[in-house]
Amino acid sequence: MSGPPDEPDGGQPGSSAPPAGAPAGTEPDARFTFANERTFLAWSRTALALVVAGLGIVQLLPPFPGVPWGRHLIGVPLILLGAFVAAAGYGEWVRHQRALRTGAPIPRSVLLPMVLTVTITCIALLSAIVLLISAIR
Amino acid sequence: MTHSDDPEDVDPNQARERTKLAWTRTAIAFAAVGGAVLKTNIIAGAVVLALAPLIWLTGRMARGGNSGRARPSELRLITLAIIAVALVVLVIALTGHKPGFHPPAHVQG
Repeated sequence: MSGPPDEPDGGQPGSSAPPAGAPAGTEPDARFTFANERTFLAWSRTALALVVAGLGIVQLLPPFPGVPWGRHLIGVPLILLGAFVAAAGYGEWVRHQRALRTGAPIPRSVLLPMVLTVTITCIALLSAIVLLISAIR
Repeated sequence: MTHSDDPEDVDPNQARERTKLAWTRTAIAFAAVGGAVLKTNIIAGAVVLALAPLIWLTGRMARGGNSGRARPSELRLITLAIIAVALVVLVIALTGHKPGFHPPAHVQG
């Protein structure tokens, strides 16, 4: 994203010049790049799983008796969380790749695990409440 | 890091192999979402399902030169695809109805 498009030690002889806006630093060990990419892909699958879970709850679950909005209350936040996780996973990848290039320590991710934990906790509580209400009715 | 137990140190190709498999799993996850959407909205489901082989191909492209260099544009594409799918699913969840499925009157919602 930011930083001068220079390669301090001219890492890749014969390779094409880095595109405009290429990140600073040197190309890290390929294994680290691969590992970072797998982490990104794992977040992507997590996002897809959240989306499909939300869709399944809204579309496939029988309605909660007495709580007509119950399925949407549980499912829609899951779908939104999926979209967020996909974007945040990409942000993590960018930050990690930058750290790998510059040799800086891998930054600790704060936002993504926190949002994930808080949202899933809230959804679990919501589910319990919806179940209780539909059981009482 | 001379002689670690990490098999990737013995054979760095395994890192590439594992990443390829991760791309495959991600493509399969896309296909699974497409299948789930297909049940509700055939057109949207078909579009998402068609994305799956594209994801797989993107993974192959991203590793085309097997250089192990980072390719942000491909990953950004995947991210945008997932967000788009999430928005489509959101619209389906909020407005959609199963064709041919009519819930009994007493369990509407």
